[in-house]
This record gives sequence, C-alpha cells and structure tokens, in this order.
Amino acid sequence: MSWAWLLVLLVTYPWLLLADMLSDSLASWGVVIFITGAVLVVPCRRLKLWQSVLVAGCLGFLFEARRPIPDGVMAFWMMAAAIFFSTRREWLRNFPLLLRAAVACNVLGCLVWYFAAAWALPYRGTIAWINVLPELILQVLTAAFAGLIFLLPVSYVQELIMDRAGVPVAKDIV
Amino acid sequence: MERNRQGAKAAYVLLTIVMVLWVLSPSVVRRFNREAFTEFQAPALHLVGKGRDLARYWELKSRNTEDLVAASRDLARVNAALELKLAMMQDLRDENKRLREIARYTPPNTFYTVVARVGLRETSSWWHRINVRKGLDDGVRPGCPVIFGDRVVGRVTVVHKNSAEVDLITSPAFRCTAFLEGDDQGRMVVVDGRAANSLTPPAARVWNIPYDYSIPAGTVPKVVTTGLGGIYPAHLVLGTLEANLRNAQDGNFKEGVLRPGRDLFSLQEVTILVPTKPSRAEDLLSGRYDELQ
Repeated sequence: MSWAWLLVLLVTYPWLLLADMLSDSLASWGVVIFITGAVLVVPCRRLKLWQSVLVAGCLGFLFEARRPIPDGVMAFWMMAAAIFFSTRREWLRNFPLLLRAAVACNVLGCLVWYFAAAWALPYRGTIAWINVLPELILQVLTAAFAGLIFLLPVSYVQELIMDRAGVPVAKDIV
Repeated sequence: MERNRQGAKAAYVLLTIVMVLWVLSPSVVRRFNREAFTEFQAPALHLVGKGRDLARYWELKSRNTEDLVAASRDLARVNAALELKLAMMQDLRDENKRLREIARYTPPNTFYTVVARVGLRETSSWWHRINVRKGLDDGVRPGCPVIFGDRVVGRVTVVHKNSAEVDLITSPAFRCTAFLEGDDQGRMVVVDGRAANSLTPPAARVWNIPYDYSIPAGTVPKVVTTGLGGIYPAHLVLGTLEANLRNAQDGNFKEGVLRPGRDLFSLQEVTILVPTKPSRAEDLLSGRYDELQ
C-alpha cells in the first residue's frame, strides 16, 4: 500500500508530541527528549525504501521546524539513516538488534542536531566548549535512554498500523 | 543482498543530488517547507495548551468557595488602590505631554500589548525557547519584546499564523544593551544569553562593564533596558547582576552573570509588546527603503 508511509507518520506523531511535552516538563534541566531517530527503525524494517525515506524526511523536517537548526540538516541525515537501515534489514531482524539500532540512530541523530544548532548560532565566538561538554553528555545519555524507553510502545503502534495497511513482513525477518 | 547494496548506492547518489538541489534552491522554498511543517504541528500544540488550561480550570474549580471569595476581596482592594494611582498618574501624564510639546521632543515608539498563553517550553544548550499561542493573526511581528510585568522575558524570533517562538533572555541567540543600577554615569553594557549547563540555573552574561564600576555595598544591582535601539522600552528589568564580577580577556572591562528576574520556565502567560509603528529594520525588510530615504 503506497499510503502506508503516511499512516505510519500519523501514528508516530503523537509520540513525538509526547516527547515534546516531556521536554517542556524538563525545561529547567535544559534537556530535549529526542526520540525522532528511534522511531525511524521500525518503518525501515517493513516499508519500501522510498517509503521509509519519505517517513524519515518528514520526521526530520518535523523536528527541525520549530527549532533553530539549519534547514534540512536533520531531514537529510534521517533520510541517509533510512537508506542505511532499509538496505541492511538483517541488522533489524529481531528485537535486541532493533533496540540497538534505535539507540544508535537516536544518539547519532542527537549529535547531528546538537552540532548543527551550535553551528547555526549567531554568536558562535562566545561558546566555551568545556562548559558545554557536560550538557552534551547529558543530552546524549537522555537520547539513548529515551530511545530504549520509547521503542517498545512506538514499535507496537507502528507494527499495528502496518499490519492493518497490509504492508508485507520483510522476508529476511521471518 | 547484493541487489540491496546496489539499491543503496543508487539511493545515496539520489539523496546527494536532492541535497545539492536543496542547498541551491531559493530560500523561499526552504522557508515555505519549514512553515508547512510548523503549521502541521500547530493544531496539536494548541490542543496541548488548551488541555493545560482546562486542567488549571478544573483545579481552580475544585477550590473552596471561601478561598475564592477571599481572593476576590483582596483583588478588589488592589484594584481600588490601582485606580487611585491611575488618577494620580493622569496629572503627571498631562504635565509630561505639555513639557514635551514645549521642548518639541519626539516621543519614543509606543507599543500595544498582546497577552499570550505559553504553549511548550524547550531548552537545550543552544536555545531557550517558549512557544506562545499568538501569532501573525494577532499582529505579532518578529523582534517584538516579550515581558511579564516589568520584567523582560525575551524576544519574538519566529512568527507563525497563530503561534510564535520566543527566545528567552538566557538563550544564546539573545542580545541587548542595558544599564546597571548604581552606575551614576549611565554607561551601557551588553547582555547576551549563554550556552546552558544543566548543573547551574539558567543565566545570561553581562559584558562591557566599565572597569571602575563596583557594585554598591549591600545591594543586588538590577540590570535594566536602555530603550536605545528601538526594540525594548527603557527601564524594563532584565534581571540582577551577581556579585562576583571578573575581568574580561581584554583587561579593559569586566563581565558578570545576570540572573533573570523570574523563573522563566514556569511562566503561564506573557505580554508581547507590539510597536505601533514598524521599526527601521522592518521598513527596510518590507521594501520601504525609498520612503525612508
């Protein structure tokens, strides 16, 4: 079904909103709950390549739309990740591998937006990287933890909608 | 497996081509794309905000009637005192107007206020932002100052149809000029946000402090806006200056830490000051350069 990617995107969005609400609650901690990378791996396991690339692009654009991140950085990184995972489905064949991929994708995505946002800052000269390092570590750890926590419920909903939409199960997973 | 690898190669090549086209595309395309994805999210964000308001409503509704009556009584007293103050201010206003007419003084830019509910807040090392539920439809424009009472909260950076993004004063993208309380010579300093560290409360940096400035004993000096530059009205409080000033790298100035006047992340409502007349920069951007000339 060619519209399956849109359905997957629509069922994934409430989880992204939930992550935004958690970021809102933790605003005084200076931490963003980032799950955009983690929610990408399950669609890559079953959708066609072009579909997973579309989902990835939309997820990336959704993340960067309200944040001061250079246009397209997250979207294109997510698309590259979608191509990588869609063409190596053997890396996603069971849940532990899926979990590993989700955490890796989330952490790398987090690093991409973190450095892209730093690059886009109007007054870069004033950044003291040594002060920012603990924040970066905290952000990366949060991204890894959020990837672990969110993968199970998000993958359940995504699998459910793909089953309903008649998306075939990938051969190398069965 | 081999077919997969070949497909990947083709996909990466295609992605590279799309990326190049994206970079070369006019900025209006990228802006439209960003705006489209923001507007896609807008209804959900509004719903979150409304839900929060509803929860607050039910919380208030569950309160004891006697408490509400007591609160109303206190408010009525405060209102009566304020009305008296307002009547006294009228005399001052009239006198001020008369003196300005005599001196042929050009009045500073005036503002009208737009009260906005806070939607989502988000902070990272590189941005401290709140999303407010007022936008282009309510007359909000990029660059408008955002305040709460007499305290500066930040500045509107991006405006959408029914919402806007506000950079808080602790955000690394924020910068404005200020005066220090206790500096009789009225020398200007610069305030800008700084990259956050979760282990310390959010703060901004005050720099360009004159070398001979020292904090008056026993006081916590306020940092107030200058009113120069046409964005912020004068004498709004940005925050307080911490006592430990240190020498700047060039040795000619000092720098210190500014603590915001309020807990910026617990605000439920803010006021946006919209200038009645567009600023010079807005005129330039809207193509009215010839008129200015």
